[in-house]
Amino acid sequence: MEKQLEDLKAIREMMEKSSKFLSLSGMSGVIAGITAIAGAAFAWLYVLGNPSASGLDRYQQITVLLVDAILVLLVSIGFAIFLSARKAKKNHQKLFNKVTLKTVYNMSIPLLAGGIFSLVCIYRGDVGIVASTTLIFYGLALVNVSKYTFDEIHYLGITEIVLGIAAAIFLYHGIIFWTVGFGICHIIYGLIMYKKYDLK
Amino acid sequence: MANIIANLNKAFESRIRLGIMSVLMVNESADFSMIKELLELTDGNLASHIKALEGLAYIESTKQFIGRKPNTKYTLTALGRQAFQEHLDALESLIR
Repeated sequence: MEKQLEDLKAIREMMEKSSKFLSLSGMSGVIAGITAIAGAAFAWLYVLGNPSASGLDRYQQITVLLVDAILVLLVSIGFAIFLSARKAKKNHQKLFNKVTLKTVYNMSIPLLAGGIFSLVCIYRGDVGIVASTTLIFYGLALVNVSKYTFDEIHYLGITEIVLGIAAAIFLYHGIIFWTVGFGICHIIYGLIMYKKYDLK
Repeated sequence: MANIIANLNKAFESRIRLGIMSVLMVNESADFSMIKELLELTDGNLASHIKALEGLAYIESTKQFIGRKPNTKYTLTALGRQAFQEHLDALESLIR
């Protein structure tokens, strides 16, 4: 009886391990959330809160916001890779295998489409909608990739999509929804995943 | 009880063979090095188990070249999928 139970456990583990990207670290979500809040706070204090007081023209404001957003993105991705590599090493796994590549590929299609679409919006002068488009496309990317990783990612994705639609409806409060979606939701889901998968 | 035990497939008694079959159940195909890394095995050890499963016609291999490197890909046969499913069902009914 013991052996049968152990066998079933081994089978389930191997099925998961071979088809899902399980090296994703919950802590990287928390760090991404904190970085996003810091980035949003900077954007609010220096540009969005009182655009005329910043002493920058519209073109300069957009440049500052873009650099801010790209820095947030790079710091988040950097920590995600670093922490996932550490988790993979701890579990005696390679970070880059077939499953990882599949995960990255499926994540990047909606993400790149959304990124380019958002840049087009900015180019056309519609900066306000970008909080919504980044949230929606990011949510779609998460839902798309969730079949290759933890189930929580699916629900995080749906949350982001809902927030993105709300950000489009309440267009002038986009930064609030953006901060909740990229900041607070990342921290909450990151902590849940950290507790559930990493603290073992 | 005796009946259920009879449904357990002797070929899957080894944990390594269970592992190989599990990987192939959820992946369309897997190459040698991928299975080796997942199961943390040596070449020789894995090769002997793969040979045994191939002998039973539970898995089949296709050889190909990726660039200049030879690469062997393994897939589950219909027979293998059925045999493993029956083994799984037997395991589950045993622990119930």
